[in-house]
Order: sequence, then C-alpha cells, then structure tokens
Amino acid sequence: MTAFVLSKSPLPSPDRFDSRWLAEALRLREAADGRVRDAHAVAAAREHRGDAESRVLLRASLLGDTDGLAAQIEAWRGRTRIVFAVLAAIALIGGFGAAVAAVGDGSRPVNVVWSLGALLGVHVLMLLLWFASFLVSAGDGGGALGRLWLWLSTRFASVTTSRHVPVALLALYRRERLVRWWLGTVTHGLWTAALGGVALGLLLSFALRAYGFVWETTILPVAMFERLVAALGWLPSQVGFAVPDADMVRASGLSVAGDEMARRAWASWLLGCVVVYGMVPRALLWAACAAQVLRRRSRTRLDFGQPGYAQLLARLTPTSERIGVTDSAPARIAGAHVADPHAAAGQGAVMVGIELRDDLGWPPLSLPGVRSEGVIESREQRRRVLADFARNPPARLLIVCDPRLSPDRGSLALLAELADHADAARIWLFAAERADPERLAHWRAGLAETGFDRPAVVETEHDALAWLQGLETQGIDDAS
Amino acid sequence: MRAESSSRRPLHLAVVGHTNTGKTSLLRTLTRDAGFGEVSSRPSTTRHVEGARLMADGEVLVELFDTPGMEDPIALLELLEDIAAAQEAQAQQRLDGPARVEHFLAAPAAHGRFEQEAKVLRQLLASDAGLYVIDARDPVLAKHRDELAVLGSCAVPLLPVLNFVRAAEANESAWREALSRLGLHAVVRFDTVAPERDGERRLYEKLATLLDGFRPALETLVACREREAGLRHRAALRLIAELLIDAAAYRSTLPGDDAARIAEGIEGLNARVREREQRCVEALLDLYRFGFDDVDADQLPLIDGRWENDLFHPETLRQMGVKLGTGAAAGAAAGAGIDLMVGGLTLGAAAALGALAGGGWQAMRHFGGRVVGAITGQRELSVSDPILRLLVLRQLHLLQALEARGHAAMKPIHAFADEARKWQQGSLPAPIEMARAHREWSGMGGRVEDSAARIDAIERLSELLGEAFDSAAVEHDAS
Repeated sequence: MTAFVLSKSPLPSPDRFDSRWLAEALRLREAADGRVRDAHAVAAAREHRGDAESRVLLRASLLGDTDGLAAQIEAWRGRTRIVFAVLAAIALIGGFGAAVAAVGDGSRPVNVVWSLGALLGVHVLMLLLWFASFLVSAGDGGGALGRLWLWLSTRFASVTTSRHVPVALLALYRRERLVRWWLGTVTHGLWTAALGGVALGLLLSFALRAYGFVWETTILPVAMFERLVAALGWLPSQVGFAVPDADMVRASGLSVAGDEMARRAWASWLLGCVVVYGMVPRALLWAACAAQVLRRRSRTRLDFGQPGYAQLLARLTPTSERIGVTDSAPARIAGAHVADPHAAAGQGAVMVGIELRDDLGWPPLSLPGVRSEGVIESREQRRRVLADFARNPPARLLIVCDPRLSPDRGSLALLAELADHADAARIWLFAAERADPERLAHWRAGLAETGFDRPAVVETEHDALAWLQGLETQGIDDAS
Repeated sequence: MRAESSSRRPLHLAVVGHTNTGKTSLLRTLTRDAGFGEVSSRPSTTRHVEGARLMADGEVLVELFDTPGMEDPIALLELLEDIAAAQEAQAQQRLDGPARVEHFLAAPAAHGRFEQEAKVLRQLLASDAGLYVIDARDPVLAKHRDELAVLGSCAVPLLPVLNFVRAAEANESAWREALSRLGLHAVVRFDTVAPERDGERRLYEKLATLLDGFRPALETLVACREREAGLRHRAALRLIAELLIDAAAYRSTLPGDDAARIAEGIEGLNARVREREQRCVEALLDLYRFGFDDVDADQLPLIDGRWENDLFHPETLRQMGVKLGTGAAAGAAAGAGIDLMVGGLTLGAAAALGALAGGGWQAMRHFGGRVVGAITGQRELSVSDPILRLLVLRQLHLLQALEARGHAAMKPIHAFADEARKWQQGSLPAPIEMARAHREWSGMGGRVEDSAARIDAIERLSELLGEAFDSAAVEHDAS
C-alpha cells in the first residue's frame, strides 16, 4: 500500500532543469548541514524504475517540496526578476538622462562626433571587453553588470532563502559553460535598456527642442569628417535613417548647420548611430545569450563526481543487496574424536608429519631409535601409514603439524585416527613461534575438541625431544 | 537451469574453497557490503549458504552465493568414489561427474558427516560457475587436489581466485602450475581484502572467458563499477581541493602585536586547520565507505580517527620532505604553520602575482585592507605554504590508501611524498595562490561566499590534484 502511494508521488517536472537545480541545491545544503531525514524519499526513489539521475531528482523533489527548498528557488527566481526590473529601470532613466545631458538644452550647438562618442563610447569599450573575455578561459566572463545583478540578487535574498540556491545554479551553469551566457543576458539586457533610454532621450530632445549641429577640429582635415560621417551613416541609412551629405558636413564645419534639411539629417544620423550601433547589437546579443541559455540548459546533467552524490547513489542504486541465508547451517557437525582408552600395545617410537610446508624439511629432528614415517598428505599415504600402524602399532607417536596452515576437520580426523593406533601420542605444532598467534590458537582449540588436551600438544623442539627421549629411557628401563 | 539462454537471467556464481581461505571476504569486497556474513580468522566460520545480488543501475546482473568451506576433501572424494563404484556396479554403466555428485547428495553421509560439503556441492550444481578461492600462502596439498576433483565433478566452470598473493610466503607459481595440471588454466589474482585497482575488472573478464553467454552482463557490471570508481575518485579530489581552498583563503586579523594575543591567535588557527582537515578525512572515509571500526581502518595512516602525526609538528614536515621556507623555519618551533604578516609587506611574490592575476577588485580591496592593517598596526595570520603542501600530500596519500583499501603493502607516507615533488617545492598552483587573495572563499571561518570563481578554483585545483595523483601512481607502478 505504502509503496503504491509512494510510486504515485509526483515525478520531477517536465522542465528537468528546475529539478536538477533543486537536487544540486539540496546536495550543497546536505554537504554543509548534514543529511536530511529522507527514508521515505529514498524508498520512493528506489521504487522508481529509471536511471540513477531520475532517482536522485525524484528524491530531491520529494524532499524539496516538504522542506521548502523548491519554494525558495521560486522565490529567489522572482527576486532576481525584480532586481533585474529595477536595474533596467535605472539603466533606462540613466540612458535617458545621459542623452539629454549630452545634447544639452539647445542653447549651444551640438558637437555631433563628440556627442556620439560620449553616448556610445563606454558601450563600445565594454562590448569589446566582453568579446575579449572569450579569449580568457578563467572567470565567468559574464560582464560586470551581470555580476552586479547576481550580487544584488543574492544580497537582497531574504534570510529564509538558502545560500545554496544561487550557488547550485552557478554550479550547474558552470558545467555547461553557461555562466557567461546567463550573466550575459543580464549585461546585454541592461545595456539594451540603457541605450534604449539614450535613443528615447535623443528622440524627445530632438522633437521638442531646436538644436544646431556642428563638428569641430583643430588639426584634422575636412575630408576625414566627410568620410567618417558617410561611413558611420551607411548602415543606419539601410534602415531609413538620413545621412548628411558632403555639402552639409562641410557647411557644419564652417558654421552651425542652420537649414532645416541639414538639422534633420544630423539628428537622424545621430539617432540612427545610437540605435544601430548601440541598442540593436545589444538587443541581438541579449537574444543570442538567452537562446544559448534556453538551448543548453536543457542539456545540463548532474555531475555525480561531486562530493555527496556517490554516497547518495549508493543508497538509491545500491551495488548489491542481500538475498539472505538460502541453506541454513547444520545444527552440529560431528568431528572426529580420539578413542579413549587406547587398546593398542605398541612397540617403539614413531614420528610422522602431516601436511607440512616444504620449507620445514623432514625429519625435523633425528634421534636414534625413532622411526620416521615421513610426511603424509594424500589418501594413499594415509592408507599406507594406517596399514603399517595396524600391523606394528607404535608405543609412542609424535605427529608433526604445521600451525601456519589452517586446521580443518579432515586433518584433525586424521590426527585422531593416527593417535588411536598408538599407546601414546603427542602433537607437535612445529615452529609455533613462526605461526600467526590466531592460527595457533585455532589449532589448540581444534586439537582440544578432538580430544588432544593441553599436555598432548607440544610446541617446542625441546619438549618434543624430551618426550621422545623419555620414551627411550622408559624403553631402556623396561628392558633392564 | 544452466543451459538456458543467459541473456536476461542473472549469472549464478558459487564461491567455494577450502575452509578459511577468504570466501566471505571475497563476497564482501564484490558486494561492497562490509556487513555481509561473518568473517574471522577461525576456520569454518561460515556454515551456511548465503546469497547476495550484484546490481548495476538497478538491474540484477549476478547472484553470488557464499558457501561453507570444504574441510575433509580426501575422505569426501573417497566416499564419492565408493558410492559411485557401488552404483556403477549395480547399474552396469559408467556415471559422469554430476551423476556421481547426485548419488552422494542422496546418500546419508550428505546429511551427517559431510553436510557442509553437501551444501557446497548442491549450490555449485545449481550455479553457472564457481569461484574457487585459494589462500596462496598455503602449499599445494593433496587435499586441495582432491577438493578440486570433487568440485570438478559438478561439471561447472571453475575460476580459481588466488587470495593473499601479495603475502611474502605466497606460492603463486606452485599454485598456477598445480591448477594447470588439473586443467584450470584461467586463474585470477584477487586479494579479497585489498584488491588491486583493476583486480575486479580482471576477475570479471576472466569469468567472461569461461561464460560467453554472460559476457554482456559482466561487461555491464565492469563498466558500472569503473564508472562508480571514477566518480568517487573525482569527488575525493574535489573534497581535497575544497580543503586546500578553505585553508589557503583563511585569514584572521589580530589587533596590535601583543605576543600573548598572537600566540593565542596562532593556536586558534592551528585548531581550525586541524579540525578542517579532520572533516575532510571523515568525508573521504565516508565516500569510500570506511568505518573507523572497519577491519582495515587500522592500516590507514590514521589512529583513532586522528592523524598520528600532528600537522603542525616540524617533524611531520621533515618526514614528508616538505621544505620549510627560511622565514617559516624560524617560527617552526612556535607553531610552524602560520605566516605572520604585518600588513601586506611580507606577502610572497607568488601570492601577490596570483592574487593580481585572478583577483580583480577584490584583490585590490584585499591589498587595501592590508595596507590599512600596516598603518594601524594590525597583524594578519594565514596558513603557510609548507602546511598547505603537507595537507596536499597527506590527503593524496590517504586517498591512495583508501583506493588500495588500506593494504599493508601500501607505500609508506614519505615514499609517496617523494613522488609528489611538484607539490613540495616550487610555487603552489594558481588556484591556491588565487585563494590567498579571497578571504571570503574560506569555509573555515563560518560563512563562505560561494562565488562562481570559488567553484572554478576548486574545479581547477581538483584537476591538478588528479594529475599529481596519477603521476604518483604511475611512478609507483613503475618502481
């Protein structure tokens, strides 16, 4: 039932960019403040049949809805729009004012080239800088106005807005190399507004005031001004703005252009230059930036190489899951046990090695009168030794084991079976000091379970020798 | 069930072997599930069959089954042969391997003395292949040959997995020879506790040569695991880069030059840096899913969650081969890590250049602030270059340890430092120098200003760290 309800929970919206933004903001917040309680969201995401990213997005949207992060994103976006609107209004008014100030109140003639430089100079310089920023790989290159807007938007964000909201957006845009374009929309948008204000100011001034136009020079030839005016005016003339002809230019150089035609032509030329070289390029760039952002942000993917996602993915798309015990442990495995008491009536001392490593060398000690059965490991060797013992049971049997190997039920069973053929048996854990103490302990425990209690286990050559010699002394005693 | 088309059904793998060879460890490593089953050095710890699914992108690709260890293969083979001989005599026809095993499983011994072994054989018969785990430190004994004979009768492809190959007493060549004499030519080295970097890929690739029908599934699994490893590596480098940016950008201002205040300020900064480094360490451990109580955690260069050598002890720097600058050397005894600057006057040329290259007006503001400090007699504390180098080396070394899963054969820390010479001498990379001029980038002093430029610096620094890490790793492999 729960699973059903959860699987019906809202999937990330079709505009996946917003859900990625939310997921990224959530990641940053969790990295800073610790993981939120997300058991239900993780369960729902694991139910979801989809790739890893869609699971992360689903979890984020479930958590974002409940703790208000999604609302914060909405609020922040709204605030950026307000800040933009305010900045645009300021730009518009500023442009308007700049235009009115540049052409003056009509009491003095307008110096056309000078005014044009004043109105477009900063814009052209900044535009060149913006293009130049493409050559520098570092930095966001979004333009100063865009950064100002971002800074203001972040600064004026309400206290409830997580600081991770704008950072998440920046991080996502950065991956797609979109920061430049995104801030570019703001920079160019504000310049469009400012230059629109300039055009408006010019239009209003020219409409309601009478201006005379003049150009001035001390050192430059007249022909240069003629060429400059014609060249700058060519592009605006293509869209209907007038261009002063060579005669008008020459006349304006001598005295303030007085006749109606010349004044109109100059005003149209000035306005045309501001629109065509100022407003229009900025508007086009704004549109280009906006198109880039819209086009590329749908391609944005979460970067799972960021800290935090690895741990999240491990929970959302686990690498493994347990099946559980499919064949349960037996209640008890019966191990072999030394028969007690021994019925053997053996003769002599025998030494035998069990599954020794090559580096130990056989026999480990030589003592006259002690028979060696060699090292046994295979079924055939076992049979041979057991058959031998059945015929000639030893009185005392020293079994050499390698405690560096792991004891197992088979070896212990063999020890018990061999010991059963002798009157007395000792297990020598050979080179015990070289063995891993844990393994040694397992050997002792295994031997004790098999019936070889503590005295039946020797761990030093001295003890082994003493025991074997004890046998000989005893044998001599018996003989005497 | 084995013969059917294998395209969509998960691959069933039985992990078999002699007792105490590390079968459950292998499962833990392959599943990334440190809590799977029970692992101890005691023989026959696992007495049941327990399964786990391996998944890639939510799809189950492999089902692994951990089985009890074989304990008495010599007697088992004998019994198997006796039962088979009796059956063959009765039925007047030869039995193949699986039929022999079936007869054994039906016999009473399969529920008594050989119950554990019966579980293994039953599971292996039901699987597509078996991973035969070998403790390469063991000599090749007759019991192992008998064991392989018994397992071989199940007529399921077996892939021997040589565990503990890096131990000094490993008999790898003896094992390989013995296995090839038994017809097992595909063998893979795989240290279950500390697998080599591409050990898992080689394991699955070898398996794919034995199980062609499951090749696509195994390739998907390999690709998925490698993608995850790559993402984890990148995330780790970013964590380290952020630590460095935080440390490099940090500044604290002290009023006046009262010696006691300065000493107090230095101690406070030291504590902050230690705490920040510890946070990075914890994040890395979490990323690589190391718990402090993990078996292998004690093989990491950490003790009780703290570095064994204090970051600010001059000996630590010496050990890492980081040269103290002449200026800093004088202050080494009294809190080595700190540049004590009066205004901007002692700012190193490299830092100044880096700041100007990337700082813009913020850098100017910063220098302005320093000039003001110089006039009003304020002093400024920052983390010195040697300490930043030390942080780099320690974190990269830890990362290497984590990726090698804390193996004992890991390079000692000073050997690693030798290879990262780039970070020991010469100027620090541009993003660090840039961070020097951006006090607001530091997350150590509370509020951090995440600007696009800070994100950018972390990204570029993590790329540089990745290059340093890779070149160190290559040198290590070559040595």
